[in-house]
Amino acid sequence: MTLRGELRRPMLALQRRAALGLRPFTAPVTIFIPLGISLGPWGLGIISPQTLAHLDVVVTLALATLGVFIGVAGARQAPAMPRLFAAASLEGVITIGVVAGAATLLLGTWGVPLDLPAVAVALTLGVCASASAAPAAEQGGDPEHEIASRVADLDDVLPIVLGGLVIGIANPAAPVGPVAAALAILVGLGTAVCGWLLFERAEGSAERAVFVLGCLALLGGAAAFAGSSPLLAGMVAGWFWVIAPGESDKLVGGDLARLEHPLVVLLLITAGASVRPDLLGVWLFVAYVTFRLSGKLIGGWAASRLAPDVAPSNLGAYLIPPGVIGIAFALNFAQVAPTAGGSVVFAVALGAVLCELLTLAVVPAVRRA
Amino acid sequence: MRRPLALALAVALTWLVVSGPAGVGALRPTALAIGFALIAAALAGSLVKRFGLPRVTGYLLFGVVCGPYVGNIITTPMARELQLINGLAVVLIAFIAGLEINFARLRPQMHAMVRFGSITLLLLYAGLFVFIWLAWPWLGIAPALVGLQKLAAAGLLAAVVASFSPTVTIALIAESRASGPVSQMTLTLVILGDLILILLFALLMQLGRFAFGGSGDVGLFESVSWEIFGSFAFGAAAGGIFALYLRHVGRELTVALIAFCAVVATAGRTWHLEPLLAALAAGLVVENIAPPRGDMLKDAIERSALPVLVVFFAAAGASLQINALAVIGIVALAVSVVRLLLIRSATFAAGRYAGLPPALAGWVWMGLVSQAGVTLGLTLIIAGEFPTWGSQLQTLSVALIAIHELVGPVLFRSALVRAGEVGRMDTLGPPALEGVPLDTSDL
Repeated sequence: MTLRGELRRPMLALQRRAALGLRPFTAPVTIFIPLGISLGPWGLGIISPQTLAHLDVVVTLALATLGVFIGVAGARQAPAMPRLFAAASLEGVITIGVVAGAATLLLGTWGVPLDLPAVAVALTLGVCASASAAPAAEQGGDPEHEIASRVADLDDVLPIVLGGLVIGIANPAAPVGPVAAALAILVGLGTAVCGWLLFERAEGSAERAVFVLGCLALLGGAAAFAGSSPLLAGMVAGWFWVIAPGESDKLVGGDLARLEHPLVVLLLITAGASVRPDLLGVWLFVAYVTFRLSGKLIGGWAASRLAPDVAPSNLGAYLIPPGVIGIAFALNFAQVAPTAGGSVVFAVALGAVLCELLTLAVVPAVRRA
Repeated sequence: MRRPLALALAVALTWLVVSGPAGVGALRPTALAIGFALIAAALAGSLVKRFGLPRVTGYLLFGVVCGPYVGNIITTPMARELQLINGLAVVLIAFIAGLEINFARLRPQMHAMVRFGSITLLLLYAGLFVFIWLAWPWLGIAPALVGLQKLAAAGLLAAVVASFSPTVTIALIAESRASGPVSQMTLTLVILGDLILILLFALLMQLGRFAFGGSGDVGLFESVSWEIFGSFAFGAAAGGIFALYLRHVGRELTVALIAFCAVVATAGRTWHLEPLLAALAAGLVVENIAPPRGDMLKDAIERSALPVLVVFFAAAGASLQINALAVIGIVALAVSVVRLLLIRSATFAAGRYAGLPPALAGWVWMGLVSQAGVTLGLTLIIAGEFPTWGSQLQTLSVALIAIHELVGPVLFRSALVRAGEVGRMDTLGPPALEGVPLDTSDL
């Protein structure tokens, strides 16, 4: 067999794994976080601290882009499925409550010196923990799986709003929480209107791509510079583009699809390279993984009361894969509070890898049941 | 109405964020600067296009108006952050230029090009040197210099004033999708001309060191040689690897292209290579040795080139020191007029000697007016080496760049329009001059 053929065999095996509905270990988080760690300052040092500082712009852009995705998904699905939206929000709130409550208690008990309120760190961990990325369901496939996917799509909305407040609390240079959140909403709306005026009248796809990229950078950059959350600003813009007259959301979606993959890869590599092992990070990692799992299971159980056609014990299991939103929010937190943020990124990034690996065991078991 | 409204909204939003009390965040304003520049400069570009001007002029004007020296919406830190994209942009632009130079297609025209280029450069440099020598007391640089010192200083200034801007030329050709004898001739002349001028500059620096009592070592000459030949070698290797990627992987080309540009730009900085030359060599290798199949590279370039060009020229506009014009405006204007006249007459004479059609020489000169990064780079070397008079020379040079960076693109675009080459890059078949009764077999 040729070398090419040899290489194709494991890839085909992986594809079959995915086709069978198993969560393959090729999930981006499990590939690119370790890659980032090995390339970063604590690994081979190819990504130096200076390069990491330059990658701040990528993080900001990725935050705004993810925000737009969530806004678009929320605006399309939430009004059509209010019960699922309520279920997803309930699950998110419970996970945040469990993780943030436990973290506050533990941080108080450990007596770790922090340069910002312990509640801000705890809430950040909670917001990061609440994000889920259930494996995408196939068309006409398992209805339970499909509901879990929709809940995972919608359970990011409330945490992002709460995250907007947390960024305000964590950033000493920013206005207080509610003002910071209001600023993010203002930036989101202003940029969204600007984009809405431009996208449909662009002279060709190249110019529209410039406008879309410009809006994303403005969303992220203006929100970050104003000391507020680029994720929230992006979500507001995405929501606006769906409800505004015209086809802005569809046009943006086409261009975002091209950006999504490279941005997510860069975001995860940046997160991996930003991992800085310290004692607080290790403690937070243990707490994060333990209480995130508990929060998801309790939250999933509670949410299943509002979401029909899904077994209470299964929904939480489906929501264990964390995806990239939590990692993105941890990086956002690290931008405004670098000292504590380093420990949070450590906990959330490694926690995400572990949760993804756990999913390999948990989700197939749920599906068999 | 929608575009002005969107422009006003982007300006207002950025102004609010930048001037507001919240603008004290620890984060660098890179994303904000890029976002604002992309939207507002692109809109300014489309606005000036309605008046028949190149979009590049709109991007530059936007940078000047909103930049730290005029409107200050793009503050000094934001302008500095925008410069980060420069390395990437220069590489991408030069790579596109390399892709446009196909030796097999150029071979029949090479002889005429070499004759035309060498005579143009010789006449331009000689004319400028004589003018600078004669006008030296009035240039405000170091009127007291005499003899060998004056010879070296005037020679260096002539090299700076004669230099061209490959980036502006390439960007305008790419933006106008232009193809044909005028764009081809201008591009070749600008690139080869700058190469020769850089070598001449290195020799004159040695003379300057000797004349001003320095060591006169060969360090600069060696480093320039390394920059030129090392850059070509590195670029050729990088181009070969990229060609292999195109041929055997061919996926995620936009990302791969940006990553390739970032690697070449970073390697250039790290190994003291010239990224422009390296990327040019890479483009030449891809185009002439291992051309990609289909349009995949063209599509990837189209997707990535426009945003990079918009930010690059907006940054260039924002960094244009308009105040230098106020200091030395009249002198700079006089030098600029002489330069323009010399370019015009040198191309005319060279065109006749090389047997080119008068119309071609009559258009090519318009593409030689722009000045930007290369000129500034040479100026900074002089200012660093000879601080006593180099700083005055820098003021004059910056003022000249301000004039030529604004006037040059307008002239070159006008030449491309008149030659009927705008938009021809997308059409198949050999380029030809439209409406001009000439035999292009010699080109």
